[in-house]
Amino acid sequence: MGGSRWIHQDNISCYLEGVQIHGEQLDRSVTAFELKNVSFIRKKGTNVFCKMEQGGVLGGIVLFVSKVLQEPKDFSCETQDLKTLTCTWDPGSDTGLTKQPSQSYTLFESFSGKRTLCKHRNWCNWQVAQDSQETYNFTLLAENYLRKRSVSILFNLTQRVHPMTPYNLFPKNVGATNATMTWKVHSIGNNSTLLCQLELLTEEKVIQQHNVSIKVNGEYLLSELEPDTEYVARVRCAYTKHFWKWSEFISQKFNTAEAAPSEAPDVWRNMKMVSGHPTVSLFWKPLSKVHANGKILFYNVTVENLDKPSRLEVLSIPAPARSTELTLDQCSYQIHVTAHNSVGPSPASVIVVSGDPGNEEVEKGRVNGTEDGFSVSWKPQSGDATGYVVEWCDGPQDLPCVLQWKNLGPNTTSTVISSGAFRPGVRYNFRIYGISTKRMAHLLEKKAGYLEELAPSDNPQVVMSNLTSHSFTLSWKDYSTESQPGFIQGYHVYLKPKAGEQCHQAFEKTVLPEDSVCCKYTIDNPEQKTFVVENLQPESVYEFFVTPYTSVGEGPLDAFTKVTTPDEYSHILIRIILPMVFCVLIVMIICYLKSQWLKEKCYPDIPDPYKSSVLSLIKSKENPHLTIMNVNDCVPDAIEVINKPEGSKIQFLGTRKSLTETEFTKPAYLYLLPTEKNYSGPGPCICFENFTYNQAASDFASCGHFPVTPQAPPPQLGPLTSPENLLKALEQNYMNSLGEIPAGEANLNYVSQLASPTSGDKDSLPTNPPEPALCSEYKMQMAIPLGLASAPPRENSSLSSTTLLGQGEHCS
Amino acid sequence: MKVLAAGVVPLLLVLHWKHGAGSPLPITPVNATCATRHPCHSNLMNQIKNQLAQLNSSAKALFILYYTAQGEPFPNNLDKLCSPNVTDFPPFHANGTEKARLVELYRIIAYLGASLGNITRDQKVLNPSAHSLHSKLNATADVMRGLLSNVLCRLCSKYHVAHVDVAYGPDTSGKDVFQKKKLGCQLLGKYKQVIAVVAQAF
Repeated sequence: MGGSRWIHQDNISCYLEGVQIHGEQLDRSVTAFELKNVSFIRKKGTNVFCKMEQGGVLGGIVLFVSKVLQEPKDFSCETQDLKTLTCTWDPGSDTGLTKQPSQSYTLFESFSGKRTLCKHRNWCNWQVAQDSQETYNFTLLAENYLRKRSVSILFNLTQRVHPMTPYNLFPKNVGATNATMTWKVHSIGNNSTLLCQLELLTEEKVIQQHNVSIKVNGEYLLSELEPDTEYVARVRCAYTKHFWKWSEFISQKFNTAEAAPSEAPDVWRNMKMVSGHPTVSLFWKPLSKVHANGKILFYNVTVENLDKPSRLEVLSIPAPARSTELTLDQCSYQIHVTAHNSVGPSPASVIVVSGDPGNEEVEKGRVNGTEDGFSVSWKPQSGDATGYVVEWCDGPQDLPCVLQWKNLGPNTTSTVISSGAFRPGVRYNFRIYGISTKRMAHLLEKKAGYLEELAPSDNPQVVMSNLTSHSFTLSWKDYSTESQPGFIQGYHVYLKPKAGEQCHQAFEKTVLPEDSVCCKYTIDNPEQKTFVVENLQPESVYEFFVTPYTSVGEGPLDAFTKVTTPDEYSHILIRIILPMVFCVLIVMIICYLKSQWLKEKCYPDIPDPYKSSVLSLIKSKENPHLTIMNVNDCVPDAIEVINKPEGSKIQFLGTRKSLTETEFTKPAYLYLLPTEKNYSGPGPCICFENFTYNQAASDFASCGHFPVTPQAPPPQLGPLTSPENLLKALEQNYMNSLGEIPAGEANLNYVSQLASPTSGDKDSLPTNPPEPALCSEYKMQMAIPLGLASAPPRENSSLSSTTLLGQGEHCS
Repeated sequence: MKVLAAGVVPLLLVLHWKHGAGSPLPITPVNATCATRHPCHSNLMNQIKNQLAQLNSSAKALFILYYTAQGEPFPNNLDKLCSPNVTDFPPFHANGTEKARLVELYRIIAYLGASLGNITRDQKVLNPSAHSLHSKLNATADVMRGLLSNVLCRLCSKYHVAHVDVAYGPDTSGKDVFQKKKLGCQLLGKYKQVIAVVAQAF
């Protein structure tokens, strides 16, 4: 409720926090405002002002609204030593404002009539007089400027004892499995007994609790502790006479001492051959904390040769090593492994190995993966088995093996292998060993499986071969089925035929994800890595694609490979004609390179009489000495000189024209060898070169003399009085061109040393060939077409001979 | 009276003791000799001018901070609640001699210093969280203390004036809260008005 004492005018309005308030005008200058349910706005107050409508503010006040003083809650009193009472309460909201202080509290005890002003707003101390009453009636009074509140309690002092926290808690005589705890408490009254509670915690869990009654000093032996373990002991106490509250806990950490390891390490082995020597890799798992009983410092590996018992080898491997490698021989070895801490060794693990790697050819099977791992089972070993071991590698096959194993009892034939390292899409190979009574391990079975099969991640590299006009062969022999993320069950061969062509009946029509249609063939044998695509059309484009599939799906869809079938007859061309042509070319080249040799061998200009069959013809029993005359023994005896009529030209080369139309004069003969008629002793010599025997024409000038009979020289030649003139004539004829022989010149025609010049028949053989003179030397043989004398020239040999005798050329 | 002693007298003692003379200037007859413990600053008048300029430049901002912190209706009723109608404010004549002006200046700054002390005390209770306002009030009071000392030093050293009679405004401690707010607003409005004239006169 408020009032305004300013001069009142009709147009005055008043406001609280911007909201107009309406009052009751009591008289002309007084207006009363009644404000109900004014809520607390702020500690610094709220302006309430009045103003005139045409003017400004006339005046105002600041309204302070405080919180309502609450009755103290949870009023309670207790004592820790029966000498001082401590009363506490919940004061609630603070009613203090800027204009007024917070509320105050007063403690009043009705039986004694004493009161005390509390210094704090939520607790107060009261001194207990010695030998005073045991029962107390306290009243707590709270007041501020506006209000008062009070609350009361009645209690017995001894029923409100809350002991102080114990102190000096220490472990004493700490062993591996027990420890003695000691502590002290504050005395309460005279020889009061306190009930103390001792708790033992490990990893924040209470594992032991003991109640102990003490007066001042407490002590208790804790037992059944674990070696090398951290514990927390804590103690609290309460008043035994009348339990009111436990004191606060006091805590203390301590560690028990180490003890020798209590269990043998779990040991396994892996046998392999290294450079021809059996090598065993030993693995062991670190002991759990419960079994290690302390920090493992090293492992001892004792190797005993069973075949040579005197030999004992001890290896000390410092922790935290978990494996070692031993190179053995063919003997059997018993290996002991013990773990050592600062107190002593653990029991020993014993395994027996031999140099013989054993039988690796065992039954192979598959295992299925589940959420929990792999469920592996096997056939029990016949005979006595002291246990089984399942071994596997924790990671993929392409990474170094992290060997894992699991020991199982003798009556076990299955187990579930779990590992946090198992991953989908990875093949895990399990080997099951049986442990004999001699502690030797024998491989029983092999299993392989996937925790979760996946679709193949890649497709094989396909090689296309044997392409024909109707088929081609696909092969992917290098594709490894074991390194895939699932068991390969087979392959899908996709084939896109040419437009309009239907799928072969062995293929299945299918639609690819990109809505293209193609043909699919399923190979359900994972070991089949070749496939022949048949029934194709020649000169057609096909596209193929091969992908493997597992139980989950097939491999990724890759690009198709194009192949074009060749023409139907092209293979004939390739296989037959081309080789033929090739061979012909080879032959031609050889023939070209060896043409001269061929010529000489097959069709020489001057056949070798020794190679002819005439010898066999002429040999007879009547004349066994008949043989082929040696050319060197042949002395030309006459030269037939053929005179040509003037004006006529004779074409040698290339002409096949018969020469019969040319008129020839009767040849004359130049006798070279002396005969019975015409021999007059040695005369000038004439040399001839015999081209058949490859003598160069340049030797012509150096040849020897040849006796020439001066008789009956050819008239056309003129008087051949000297060999030089004859030589010149011969040379001239020899040097005639291929084209023609100048008219009017004489040709020399070698008749034959056996021909009888008198008969004019050059073909008849003389019965007594004249003896050549010492200087006779047959060097040159001029071969002219025989047709000049009697018959048309032979085409091949004569023309070729003539060709060889071209101007300036030499026979070779 | 107790409140007056608690609020204003210590301020006066500090004003007279802290700077300049080093010992309280005795209230002595007008014709007493004037001596300063330390020699005055060589450029005293310039320093006085600078201090006046500094006060002048911050007076408006102080005024705005104050009436904003008081809340409605103050910001929108400045003419009624914050008009510079301070009847006992010391006068100032800009055309007087330097000595006269310095004496009037001294009285004005002494008056303002005491009033600012009241305002600062009241606002600590009424607006304890208005930190900018409190900072500005403190800074203004600091400059005024220094100005007062310089003016006195100048009066003493040049004009041998050892004592100046001063008067202070009413103590606001017994007034109601709204009245405290209003008086403070009027004082700061008057201060803004006067300091501009005084700064111009020097």
